[in-house]
Amino acid sequence: MVREFTCIVCPNGCDITAEVENGELISVTGATCKRGEAYVKQELTDPRRTISSSVAVRNGELPLVSVRLDTAIPKNRIFDVMQEIGAVRLEAPVHIGDVVIEDILGLGSNVIVTKNVERK
Amino acid sequence: MGEFDVLIIGGGVVGSAIARELSRFKLKIGVLEKNLDVCYETSGRNSGVVHGGIAYDTGSLKAKLCVEGNRGMEALSRELGFTFKRCGKVLVGKNAEEMESLRRTIAQGEKNGATGLRLIDKEELHKLVPMAIGEFAMFSENSGIVDPFIYTIALAENAAANGVQYFFNHEVTAISREEEQNLWSVTAAQGTYQTRWVINSAGLGCGVISDMLGIKGYHVIGSKGDYIILDRRTGELLPMPVYPVPSNTYMGIHVTNTTDGNVIIGPNAENVMDFTYYGVPQENMDYLAKSASEIWPCIKKADYIRNYSGILPKWVDENGVIQDFKIEIRPELAPNAVNLVGIESPGLTAAVPIGRMVAGMIGEYEKLEENPGFNPRRKGIIRFEEQNDETKARLIAENPDYGEVICRCEKVTKAEILEAIHNPLGVHTMVGIKYRTRSMMGRCQGGYCQMRIARLLEEELGIPDTKIRYARENSWLFTGKVREEEA
Amino acid sequence: MEKREVVIIGGGPAGLAAAVELYKKGIQDVLIVEREKAMGGILRQCIHDGFGLTRFKTTLSGPEYAQRFIDEVQTYRIPYRIDTTVLYVSSDKVVTIASAKGLEKIQAKAVILTMGCRERTRGALGIPGERPAGVFTAGVAQAYMNLYNRMVGKEVVILGSGDIGMIMARRLTLEGAHVQAVFEIQPIPSGLPRNIEQCLNDYGIPLYLSHTITAIHGKERVTGVTISEVDAQMKPIPGTEKEYACDTVILSVGLIPENELSIDAGVPLDTRTRGAVVDEFFQTEKEGFFAAGNVLHVHDLVDFVSLEAEKLADGVAEYVRGGRLPECPIELKTDRNVNHTVPQKISGQRDVNVTMRVNRKFENAVIVLRQGGEVIAKKSMKKALPAEMIQIGLKKEAIRGNQEIEVSVEW
Repeated sequence: MVREFTCIVCPNGCDITAEVENGELISVTGATCKRGEAYVKQELTDPRRTISSSVAVRNGELPLVSVRLDTAIPKNRIFDVMQEIGAVRLEAPVHIGDVVIEDILGLGSNVIVTKNVERK
Repeated sequence: MGEFDVLIIGGGVVGSAIARELSRFKLKIGVLEKNLDVCYETSGRNSGVVHGGIAYDTGSLKAKLCVEGNRGMEALSRELGFTFKRCGKVLVGKNAEEMESLRRTIAQGEKNGATGLRLIDKEELHKLVPMAIGEFAMFSENSGIVDPFIYTIALAENAAANGVQYFFNHEVTAISREEEQNLWSVTAAQGTYQTRWVINSAGLGCGVISDMLGIKGYHVIGSKGDYIILDRRTGELLPMPVYPVPSNTYMGIHVTNTTDGNVIIGPNAENVMDFTYYGVPQENMDYLAKSASEIWPCIKKADYIRNYSGILPKWVDENGVIQDFKIEIRPELAPNAVNLVGIESPGLTAAVPIGRMVAGMIGEYEKLEENPGFNPRRKGIIRFEEQNDETKARLIAENPDYGEVICRCEKVTKAEILEAIHNPLGVHTMVGIKYRTRSMMGRCQGGYCQMRIARLLEEELGIPDTKIRYARENSWLFTGKVREEEA
Repeated sequence: MEKREVVIIGGGPAGLAAAVELYKKGIQDVLIVEREKAMGGILRQCIHDGFGLTRFKTTLSGPEYAQRFIDEVQTYRIPYRIDTTVLYVSSDKVVTIASAKGLEKIQAKAVILTMGCRERTRGALGIPGERPAGVFTAGVAQAYMNLYNRMVGKEVVILGSGDIGMIMARRLTLEGAHVQAVFEIQPIPSGLPRNIEQCLNDYGIPLYLSHTITAIHGKERVTGVTISEVDAQMKPIPGTEKEYACDTVILSVGLIPENELSIDAGVPLDTRTRGAVVDEFFQTEKEGFFAAGNVLHVHDLVDFVSLEAEKLADGVAEYVRGGRLPECPIELKTDRNVNHTVPQKISGQRDVNVTMRVNRKFENAVIVLRQGGEVIAKKSMKKALPAEMIQIGLKKEAIRGNQEIEVSVEW
């Protein structure tokens, strides 16, 4: 079976054609770098994504601070993770790299702060 | 809910001009306006042209009041602090037939009392408007332009400063007469108001209100016109409005400079019975651009910043022929009621003379006592951008909020926005701030400043974000927060 | 009057990168003027990741990417003014600024234009229909959600497949809104393929090409839109109308370089990019005025904005030191398949990196630069999309005289 992928690893967004038999990757064409093949393998077995969102901050110069996952999580857990992120409240100041939730839902990824928000 | 000497239904340019003229006398006056501000309908949706009084039948109210309004516009603009430019206008023609038509127009204009009308040749036309297309033109040197928003707001604010009460979001649903007490009861959703005099200046609603007063039979249709607004930079190419040669009933699609340097193209004219639909269809935009390009070839799509439409209330007879303004008291049908029907163009120009006429008509029924406290002057919001560097520096020194530019396209400062938020009429919509300051009117259409203004509104008025309205009653800007502060 | 060797207008990614690079080159009498309360420009609201792969070899969110430059500005103590708006720049490089401190004038030796871009609006596009609340450009919606904590709607239709629009489709979905579809008037998407994949496909949001909004409905808040298919001339096809009920319309229909200050200063613009015409030093046709980043031409990736601004710093440093830059008499001309190039003129005396965009999608194409009919550079591409900036290196050895260079696509 032939499947088409758009690689999301980098902005090139290569169109990758993969030949797949019984879930096994037979061949890959169209990737301009080796990360493309790894991406397709991952997509076939365990598609993962990172996401970004915001967390409410009390007493900050901004009402929200942006956060992201530091490694990708299974795609089908995105909304579970969003629910956890939505429930957190932080107190200013917060700084880039601060860990908001460690090992979120045991998925091996941390939610980290991506913006400095000082106390107002 | 309170008793008034005069209740005015409709707070547009005419209603507000009437309110202001009546506030010269000792009267308790209220204005019931169905929208959340004074210029949401016809008064704010037009070309902003101060007409010379040329195109109307001699002897008509339209001609007489327009000529009078035109003459008084400088003095009024100084009193009330709005921008009026007597820039003149040209009607361009190409052939012998149009030449003849322009000669007739001049003759009629002069009979109406308009001055400063003459035919000019191509050379003089191009001296006045280098980019206009025409073999010759009629020049009307006394025509001009106003900012229709600030003009209407100024009349209303000055009326309010002289004691007139404005009630927004008050659409009148019923009117009844209590003969024994010699009072009118005027009902809106918020309650019923009693008044000795009632004035119908409801604009598009004039027919409905006239019926409610018991003066039946006026047939009012809407004439909808669409417009395109061009970037401010285009104004350099258009020092005065350029019109085609008019027909008997319609002025034609013209290009008009605005007091702020934009150019507006329009209007077409389409008869409508839905007086609430302001959508602009694609084909009309294309038609406007094509049609106006025949008299002014500088229209580029890259310069479009917005489009809008307006509807004129036209009183027509059974044959569909457009009638003059009707301004009447019909004591046999509706005592103590002044009924204004079909106040369309040139209502913007004629508003104050209409106001004086209405005051005079009431004065024939009862002696109006002068209000010694009447102050005809209003100080508008100082526009930072229009000041020279010295004044700008002084303004910032006096008030550092002038140093914070909120709207980058029109260079509107925080000081101006705050003054607009705390406007005398208590209007709290985003569009209300826009009309009062020009913020959000520029080429980015609020992309930069809208969020800053929304936040200032929340902070200054102490209201939550879900209560910020764009223009109309339920025109909420936001549906909630992304994150509640407490989990 | 205060004097500065360099005044940088705008403290976004381009301005910050230019300032840092100038500092490293020993030009330290610099002032960055930023109208917002914080530097970083549009990156402050771009909280998604994917930035920095080229410039920093790692993937970052917008605020993190910006902070790397802001930290450098602060470490080097490069002077900057926030909450300060440039009101105008005269053609002799006097910059008038306004802030709560007052109105000030600064005489600059060189002015760097890094004002970024603005979004194309509903009015500019002339989208027909009524004018209710609930119509937002994607960037405005992004700012409301990510900076102001305001939710802009619940039932959403998106017009335009620009990257910010697709990123907002995902963002809105993650925050509980329902995005019904993205409609694109062109036959090809205007944003990057990876965003179609990770922002739309991942969330089951359909993308309809050759469709547009032909009416917006609602007197107060948006109640719905009419969608029509369009023909090859992008005119709506009668009879294809479909109604969508929604409370929000998001527009992602293009970006326009914000050159109002440039125009007033007398800087000539290129009608194709709507940015200044520049030479290989990023000097505009007005001497002493330089431009880089989205104010010059709209970029696909911020990494290239930074790299361009860093390159600009070379030219500015040379100009400030020497008072002039080499002549750039060689013009770059484009064929009908190429939208534009930046720079538009070069000296022929140095290696130069030419950036360009194609006008439509090509597969297995070759971008060719010719001088007098002879090929002086080329680049083969498996696919060339209008959404992507294409860069071609041109060696000075290849350049023959001052004849114009023709840039074309062959396939």
